[in-house]
Amino acid sequence: MIELKDVTVRYPNGVVGLDGVSLTIDPGQFVVVVGLSGAGKSTLIRAINGLVSVTSGSLTVDGHEVSGASKRELRAIRSRVGMIFQSFNLVKRTSVMNNVMLGQLHDIPAYRSLVGAWTQAEKEKAYQSLERVGIVEKAWTRASQLSGGQQQRVAIARALAQDPSVMLADEPVASLDPPTAQMVMKDLQRINRELGITTVVNLHFLDLARQFGERVIGMREGRIVFDGPGADADDAVFETIYGRSLTAEDILPGRS
Amino acid sequence: MSTVAPAVPEAPARPRKPAPSKGIIAAFVVAAIFTVWAARSIEFTLMPLFTNLDNGWEIIHQFLNPSWGFIFRVWDAWVETIAIAIIASFVGVVLGLVFSFMASTVTNRTRWSYRATKVFLSVVRSLPDVAYVLIFVALVSIGPLAGILALIVFNIGIAAKLTSETIDAVDTGPLEAADASGAGTIARARWAVLPQILPNYLSYCLYIFELNIRASVVIGIAGGGGIGQVINVQFSRFAYENVAAITVAIFVVVFVIDQVSQQLRRRFV
Amino acid sequence: MSTRDEAASRPRQPSKARATATWILLLILVGGAAWLSDARWGQITGIFTDGGRYFRLMTEGLLQNPFSDPWAGYWTRAFDAMIESVHMAWVGTVLGAVLSIPFGFLAARNISGAVTVQLTRGVLNLIRAVPELVFVIVLMLPIFGFGPVAGALALGVGAIGTLGKLTAEALEGVDPGPVEAAKASGSGRLAVLRWAYWTQVLPEVMAFWLYRFEINVRASAVLGIIGAGGIGQLLSQLFSKRAWDQIGITLLVIIIVTVIVDMVSGAIRHRIIGGGKAKKDRVRDDAVEVGL
Repeated sequence: MIELKDVTVRYPNGVVGLDGVSLTIDPGQFVVVVGLSGAGKSTLIRAINGLVSVTSGSLTVDGHEVSGASKRELRAIRSRVGMIFQSFNLVKRTSVMNNVMLGQLHDIPAYRSLVGAWTQAEKEKAYQSLERVGIVEKAWTRASQLSGGQQQRVAIARALAQDPSVMLADEPVASLDPPTAQMVMKDLQRINRELGITTVVNLHFLDLARQFGERVIGMREGRIVFDGPGADADDAVFETIYGRSLTAEDILPGRS
Repeated sequence: MSTVAPAVPEAPARPRKPAPSKGIIAAFVVAAIFTVWAARSIEFTLMPLFTNLDNGWEIIHQFLNPSWGFIFRVWDAWVETIAIAIIASFVGVVLGLVFSFMASTVTNRTRWSYRATKVFLSVVRSLPDVAYVLIFVALVSIGPLAGILALIVFNIGIAAKLTSETIDAVDTGPLEAADASGAGTIARARWAVLPQILPNYLSYCLYIFELNIRASVVIGIAGGGGIGQVINVQFSRFAYENVAAITVAIFVVVFVIDQVSQQLRRRFV
Repeated sequence: MSTRDEAASRPRQPSKARATATWILLLILVGGAAWLSDARWGQITGIFTDGGRYFRLMTEGLLQNPFSDPWAGYWTRAFDAMIESVHMAWVGTVLGAVLSIPFGFLAARNISGAVTVQLTRGVLNLIRAVPELVFVIVLMLPIFGFGPVAGALALGVGAIGTLGKLTAEALEGVDPGPVEAAKASGSGRLAVLRWAYWTQVLPEVMAFWLYRFEINVRASAVLGIIGAGGIGQLLSQLFSKRAWDQIGITLLVIIIVTVIVDMVSGAIRHRIIGGGKAKKDRVRDDAVEVGL
């Protein structure tokens, strides 16, 4: 469960990322956040795992307060929150396996992680995560040799290896072609349903938002301007969120 | 209506050639003055090249007749030189790696320890290798050990500088991912940074090994063992034909090691 | 994807034998070297027994009032010697820079013929492979005798190797557009070299020169210990007397002057190559450093 109470994020340069946002996300929900770039979607997601610090208000994940948490507490919270990035953020010069291990580093003592002495259980966890996204056959391939879609699935496996209760995805499909984007979104949906992991996804394609969002949150200028089921989010709603009429670019290309 | 109409509509005024920037002129003047001052203060002259050539000729003649056999008579010194370079490079680059992680804001997020490491490294790099040899000769007496220790310190400076600059330029995506999963500082450096810099780092390691072979002459002359010590002894005995043979051999060794190591470096990057 | 329906078989973990073998080999190499180096490792304790004492003596020298006798004299002597080293380094760099220009043009593949390039590169590699110290001993001392002139000449000759190579590489990287334009307008060969090639590479090449100067400042200290004057000569005299208080002062002077030289030269280099591209500069720096 994620709870935001009157959360404001102001960056050092004065830009306001979130402006008094209050929000509750129940366990197991699949939430899609939409809005123009700069609307605060990314800030919202990064605030949840403390990559962006909250200026005022209260933000809790599973009852743990994120704002004002010490470094140690923050690391503990982050280890329970998986995160997926637009640019995958894999270490390209090492194997897929080691990349997935990155997700478990929180629980591995430094003397073992330094030499890469993974235990059987840790490897098993990594294999299972890779199996869940259907890419286990690439376990020992270098990450640089994978296609974009494959890299994003490894990134999902990395997040899964954390045993997360919450999964955050920041524009996970923005750098992928339409069929691959569909596939990655379906992976996220399946994981959400099978494991009951609370999932928050940032998207800017409104058709994907409608298709996958059991709950859609529309953001504009750091505020929530829509909150409802995906089915209710019709074109008129999106026009209020975007503050302009819709164009072809708002729809995932290649689909009508 | 003017009485004197210009024959041609007035052309826009031609711009004047801009004076060269004052800064550049000043820089060149300063450079020229400094050159003259420096040359005068060390009493620079090329005259001996014409007047003293005869004096030097005797010695140069000896140089041109190297006693090749001497190269192999000091076999032990060669082994010693290579061995010194291997140990010093190995220890130096390993410690240098640790320092380089401490000397980059990417991997070291503690402000004061970053600053302290930077200052320490710049002090280490500002002393020439000879100074270290002299210091360690005083501490552990003349011999290879002093050479090894001096080179280790010297190597830490170079390895840490080159590697920390590479760390500064890594892709920050994986770092963000490591942070987002709650990884600790050491684990983050090992798995999100090290794989990215490894090829460059290995290349620096070989480069440092090359430097160490080259430096062996210096090290030896200052009392750090190896082939340099042989040169020093022969030089002070005016045995120029021996010095010449060793010089040629050093050149060959350095050249061969450079070539091999450059081939390897090309494979890394 | 079919892999998702039926569980795909897990790939076998690749063997770590090669990595392990490499490590073992490396450790044997280092261990063997430790044994063959003939180093008396037992004496390493000297660092701990004498290190503190010497350090204290050095610090005591530094803490004396630098304006009273004899300390004022020590400071002045150290500064004079260091300035002499800097002068030696500067003259050497200027010589090397001037001499390296023709070598650079001769060694650039897009300017000179294949045979010339190979020959010139051979000469440059040869110079690069010989330590400056050897130049001093072999060429300079017999003719110029002991003193900074021999040192400056050795540094100059030594600089030709690296500067020539870097200049050639810079020339090979020029934008061919202006060259073509100059040729198309019927310019003579010399004019093309001067205005199309040289103007393009000048900032970069000047940065190399400054970089070499920084390196030469350190190298000049080395040359001092075999009698080429400057700070190296002073240092080796002081060390043979074990005059730790003066050694402390001299080392501090070296550090101060070197840091200042590095800072000034570094700032000018960054200005020359265009301050905005800080990141590109850094990469360039790497390349230069490894090249030199």
